Amino acid sequence: MDSEDSAPTAERIVRIGGGGGFWGDRVEAPIELLREEPLDYLMIDYLAELTMSIMAKQMARDTDAGWATDLGDWLAIGGMQALHERGVRLVTNAGGANPSACAAAVLDIAESVGWTDCRVAVISGDDILPRIDDLIEGGEGMEHMETRQPLTDSGRSLLAANAYLGAGPIGAALGAGADIVITGRVADPSLLVGCMLHAAGWVERANDLSLDRSSPVDEWAPDSVMSPLNDLAQWTIAGHLIECGSQVCGGNSTDWETMPDLGGLALPVAEVGLHGSVTITRAMHGGGRVDRRTVAEQLVYEISDPTCYITPDVIVDISEVTLTEVAPNRVRMAGAAGTARPERLKVSASLEAGWFASSSLLVPGPDAMDRARATDATLRNRLADTDLDIRSELIGAGMTLPPGIDPSWHVSEPTEVMLRWAVVGDDRDEVIHFSREVAPLVLTGPGGVSGYGARGRPRRQLQHWPTLIERSLIESAVHCDILGIRDVTSTRAGVRLAGTARSALRGRTIRLLGRLHDGLEHRQWTKPFARRIATRVPEVLTIREDAR
Amino acid sequence: MSDVWIPLGEIAHGRSGDKGDHLNIGLIAHRPEWLDLLIDAVTEARLHAWFGPMLKGDAVVYRMNGIGAINCMLHHALEGGGTTSLRLDAQGKSWGQSILRLRVPVNRDEAVALGLPLNAATFDEAGRLAVV
Repeated sequence: MDSEDSAPTAERIVRIGGGGGFWGDRVEAPIELLREEPLDYLMIDYLAELTMSIMAKQMARDTDAGWATDLGDWLAIGGMQALHERGVRLVTNAGGANPSACAAAVLDIAESVGWTDCRVAVISGDDILPRIDDLIEGGEGMEHMETRQPLTDSGRSLLAANAYLGAGPIGAALGAGADIVITGRVADPSLLVGCMLHAAGWVERANDLSLDRSSPVDEWAPDSVMSPLNDLAQWTIAGHLIECGSQVCGGNSTDWETMPDLGGLALPVAEVGLHGSVTITRAMHGGGRVDRRTVAEQLVYEISDPTCYITPDVIVDISEVTLTEVAPNRVRMAGAAGTARPERLKVSASLEAGWFASSSLLVPGPDAMDRARATDATLRNRLADTDLDIRSELIGAGMTLPPGIDPSWHVSEPTEVMLRWAVVGDDRDEVIHFSREVAPLVLTGPGGVSGYGARGRPRRQLQHWPTLIERSLIESAVHCDILGIRDVTSTRAGVRLAGTARSALRGRTIRLLGRLHDGLEHRQWTKPFARRIATRVPEVLTIREDAR
Repeated sequence: MSDVWIPLGEIAHGRSGDKGDHLNIGLIAHRPEWLDLLIDAVTEARLHAWFGPMLKGDAVVYRMNGIGAINCMLHHALEGGGTTSLRLDAQGKSWGQSILRLRVPVNRDEAVALGLPLNAATFDEAGRLAVV
């Protein structure tokens, strides 16, 4: 579905949709985008910094879990047919910690809608947890990028460690005929760059020259390409601009007051030229808008030094990038400049860092701040003999202003405040103790304290550990498998519930038993029946222990 | 000295996000020709004064000529980062908006010449670092 650009030098334009920004974004939104917009590719980023460690835990509990199940949800309710009918190729990192299980579920859905020759590529090799000891013994210190502390000095156990892969394997998978590409951890903008390597003939060229897919992708460019690094830079920033879905179309905007229909924001489309032109636009229907201001806010989102935006494919200077409104809801981006890719790849690891819980209470006025401070002091007094790290915030009384600003300058006495605590500690029982001390404040604190919800259950606190690693160590282990329905269904057809439903059911059961178990620990269960359940299912509780 | 103090939001709009333990606040001038005003107004010293004890590392201001913006990198401002911070806004997403209240100095003549609105939200020096 290539459309001719109106620019004087006609450049073939590829239309790439941005189907969402994280695992938990609007599930059905990609279907709307597919039905409304002619697209060549659809990219969806599902992985935030910590998502991988959550998924790694899910996979430890259930070998079919550990990927972004939102993908299965929208593919199963019409998304798969839409991809098939419209010939749109999907590229997504929904595979998370378990790309092959994700691909198997996707192929199940393809089969259920009669797309019998659907080909799904699985890109793996980003997960270095199984190899971590060998890598450290081989001399990789895995030093924290910010503190330079070696990983072995952290004293914490590792839950997940994934390298950010680049666009090469994605392009290669598309070149080998994949309809859907499922990856684990990949640099977000590389999802789009991989599409362009395919669309612009760079993959074909690399195949002709027998270049390895781990070779620098700028070397794949056909001879007609004047500046491969600059084209890669433009594609990379196009990916950066649409990787957060609707956030470039007016979501999270300073201009929220004038943004039409915030409740139904459109998803973005990048119109990308084979030679690096980029126009950001949006689905025709839906709320929000794409203008110079919304695109500029996304350009600066989560960046550091603007002259040095690093992906595995290229290092980009965006300091001279320009944005031009060429038509309503159409912004042209130009001026991204590329230099050679980095020698080392970023690795995102997660460490266990104790237990966390939070809880909050509504504290009314008059004198809401004094009442809240008294309530806070009471709780802290009751937890004085613990080693918990306690953070108290008075929501509604200056919390989003820096602590050095004198509150009397800007806050008149609030009519009420929300008092919120968050605690972290190495001892899970102490965190449970905190959760149990909040509710009594409703009857024992200052008058009118209310709004107590469920007792906050402790969850694992995770520490993010970014580091760098020699790229050849990673790239030599990257695999790309292209699967069809026959590769995954012979052992499973009709035998059991779909993986997503099964893991959801199992998760609910485990959570229920977990609550029973907690009650037993604290002698909450006086009824013989409940005590019997809680004591006589040791194998299930063992599963739960593993899941922690 | 003919400086007046105005809310930063009169000069720029913004968005913030996290990079590990570091906070980034991108501030885009409402008009590209206001970039120099913005750069003079948001100095590293003023960022330190505004964020106070919350900002444990350096503040670095990068210039983005192409879109008329600056990117403020606030190092070690997130209490360990989005994953370990006990703050409700662990990723610092609110700071790109709340900083728009910061009052910053601009030269009155320059501001008028550049078409910057000087109105009821304009203060003298005594009002600096207060909020509207």
